[in-house]
Amino acid sequence: MPTLTLPGDLNSLEPLTDLVLEQAELAGLDTRATYQLRLAVDEIATNIILHGYQEQALQGEIVVTAEVNDQALVVTLEDTAPPYNPLKRDINRVKEDFEKPLHERSIGGLGVYFAIHAVSEFHYEWRNGRNRNIFVVHRTSPTATEGSTAHSAHA
Amino acid sequence: MSFTVASSFNSGVAHLTLAGRLDANTAGQFKAEIEKIAEERPTVVALFVQDLEYMASAGIRMLVFTKQKLGAQTDIYVIGAQPQIVHTLEMTGVDKSVIFADSFELAATN
Repeated sequence: MPTLTLPGDLNSLEPLTDLVLEQAELAGLDTRATYQLRLAVDEIATNIILHGYQEQALQGEIVVTAEVNDQALVVTLEDTAPPYNPLKRDINRVKEDFEKPLHERSIGGLGVYFAIHAVSEFHYEWRNGRNRNIFVVHRTSPTATEGSTAHSAHA
Repeated sequence: MSFTVASSFNSGVAHLTLAGRLDANTAGQFKAEIEKIAEERPTVVALFVQDLEYMASAGIRMLVFTKQKLGAQTDIYVIGAQPQIVHTLEMTGVDKSVIFADSFELAATN
């Protein structure tokens, strides 16, 4: 099970993506499922770095693990930033923006929307002083479509 | 591949060619280029994205920034977008605010 420990810095997005792409290929995901997983993981990692660490003037790491089993590819991001459950974000307010022309939009919340809607399952846990964001992409089904993603949170 | 952006300006049309990964780490380069072309007050922005392999929400925020900076009346063309990027823009309703085309010359004359 590959594990990568990266500094909580935006320069870590590239090696993080490289790991996700490598594991998606190993799992045999199609182009769209691979792209959507990459998007989801990238968005949550970005939020951890910018909001969890940098805005709090904290330094920390992101520990990435990836596991391919018979059913799915599971990618987990762990960080030591203050607890933040993306599932508590009001996604309906984000979606309201989608009906507006670009110049009238606010610019927040998109990343969480992608994380939740781009993979088969998204789970959040707070465990042993760490945020754990867990992305699951089923290997046998097509990419999750909007509204079909399963998600859960455990604190 | 990281990210590159290059721009030129001709008769009210700003041409920007984007390649690589447009994410939170690289969006600042795109923003700087938008601020540069804004000084020319373009009425049309053509984004050539054939070699753009990835766009995160930071890229979408830059499209929002472009409209807010240049004005709602500015047309944004997205030329040659890869299917996954089109899908990302469709997921967020951005497709209703930009013009997709395979060729800017053909789109602009229609």
